[in-house]
Amino acid sequence: MKFGIFFEMSTPMPLRDGIEKQVYDNALEQARLADALGFDFVWAVEHHFLEEYSHCSAPEVVLTAVAAQTEQIRVGHGAVVCVPEMNHPIRVAERAATLDLISNGRLELGTARSSTWTELGGFEVDPDDTKKTWDEFVRVLPRLFGPEPLAYEGRCFSMPERNVLPKPLQQPHPPLWVTVTSPGTELDAADRGIGCLGVAAAGYAEQERRTREYHRRIQLCDPVSSVVNDRVSTLNFLYCHEDAQRAAQTGMQLVGTFGLANAHLLWTREAYPTRAYQSLANLAPGSGRSGGSNPANPYGVPEGVCVGSPGQIIDAIKHWESIGIDGINFLLNGLEVIPQVQVLESLRLFAREVMPAFRTGETRAVTPERAGAVTR
Amino acid sequence: MILGSADPEELGCTRPTVASLPRQSFVLDDVVLLQAFYEMPRTAREPVLPPGLHPTNPAALVLQVWRCGDSPWGPFALAQARVQCRSGLRARGFVTGAVCEGSDATRALRDELGFPVRDGRVELQRGYDRVLATVEVDDRPVFELEGEDPDPLSPGDLQYSSTLTLAHLPAGLRLVQIEPQVTLERAERVRPRLLGFDPSALGEPRLEPTTPVSGSVATGRIEIPPVRFVCRPAELAFTGTEKVEG
Repeated sequence: MKFGIFFEMSTPMPLRDGIEKQVYDNALEQARLADALGFDFVWAVEHHFLEEYSHCSAPEVVLTAVAAQTEQIRVGHGAVVCVPEMNHPIRVAERAATLDLISNGRLELGTARSSTWTELGGFEVDPDDTKKTWDEFVRVLPRLFGPEPLAYEGRCFSMPERNVLPKPLQQPHPPLWVTVTSPGTELDAADRGIGCLGVAAAGYAEQERRTREYHRRIQLCDPVSSVVNDRVSTLNFLYCHEDAQRAAQTGMQLVGTFGLANAHLLWTREAYPTRAYQSLANLAPGSGRSGGSNPANPYGVPEGVCVGSPGQIIDAIKHWESIGIDGINFLLNGLEVIPQVQVLESLRLFAREVMPAFRTGETRAVTPERAGAVTR
Repeated sequence: MILGSADPEELGCTRPTVASLPRQSFVLDDVVLLQAFYEMPRTAREPVLPPGLHPTNPAALVLQVWRCGDSPWGPFALAQARVQCRSGLRARGFVTGAVCEGSDATRALRDELGFPVRDGRVELQRGYDRVLATVEVDDRPVFELEGEDPDPLSPGDLQYSSTLTLAHLPAGLRLVQIEPQVTLERAERVRPRLLGFDPSALGEPRLEPTTPVSGSVATGRIEIPPVRFVCRPAELAFTGTEKVEG
């Protein structure tokens, strides 16, 4: 089981002086601590115009800073929006390769197509086209990373023969992922041989069904590259405290606040009817996980959510592990509802009490001195 | 979080009084439903909504025109302006104003469901190349909405948000949550074109449709079940929601 932290950079509005700077500084501090504690990934989303929910429009810059301030943790685009109005595929390849070099081969390259009208409308993207452009991007990106110059004539872009530079350090290229919001996208991932980066709520049963189908389908895939990434990770919240009740009180503030901000997004399908956006999926409590269906938790924490005492969180993660999940990425804060000092304490407690339950036989060591020194 | 900033009492000045909410469903058959979704300027984002509601980003205005062939109130046609919003976690359309052709329907929608509706002329003509809605009050145009180039969709591709009206109930001024169940037989996406628009005739002079986002036209059946919940307009849904005793 791999563990990551996931940045949305959600920020309370109206903006007060310095709040965005504080959100970014806090995130970088969390990344440094996560690195020292032995977490595996830092992911940063790409969102545009999403007031409160996400002020993270330039993840390549965030991840470059993370890479420069950390040593081992892998840095992940979670994910690059693969529509040409937002990102030209050549620029995606150039930036990714550069980040892979600077991070010493630590890049994970997530791909996405955006789910909100706020973003697609802002860039005048036709929602009917985004599945098509995403597909073209993921098929052409491995070729742009290749050693030889490439001439390409496609649907959403064309180029005469050119050599896209630099080349990534990881060969043939950084691992590819797709963010999975709508049910069914995991099958798109499987069919193309790319990793499944879950970013929406699903309970155990639903996630188990999707994961099983992903693993079945990927055996038959027509991969977009010479390498297949068959990992499945999910998104979760994290607030860990020795006292389960305090954990729930604080953690559910995070779950509720972030879920509310998520529910307030203007989803594409709400504004623009299209077959290309079949379903709505979000992180709002009750949208995919039911607190009422989790009799094991007396404090109203929904099924599978990593809010609780170390023991409760171990139980939840073991369940995720048992249904085939390879990695869990955690949202640590939302709209800064949890003071940074508590976020960092939660991370430390998780690393001390929870991680060891899943790290038998692994070689990556946590250095307690560094873990303590990063933020104190 | 971002909230509406309108004074509920001020909004309530022009809203109807509902003596008692209906305990039965209303079934509307043979319905043609035209919807247009427009962005609005940010200046009209918070001031048009009461503090219990969250605006969308960007602010959005939805125009809906229903032509109903059969209903408990006979045939009627309704045009409504709705500001897209969130009540708690849920997507809703807050009705600012409406025009109805069919006096029994006008009365029922106003007196039983709290629609800020008045009598007028509402026409909806459907062709293979376009759909045209014309709305007038006192012989003055309110809006003309054209949907061009119908493009077939699966009925499941269309999504309508539930409705919130603001009305004076015996318990006080409340947001009334109306949850029409729409069963569609046919659905098409159209390109909306708005020809003339009088926001004052739709209850809110600050409504300003700018960027057209989408349009759709559909046929089917609408069932309006009994109202289950109302909400105090100055409070968030989490604390302000009240169950309607059936």
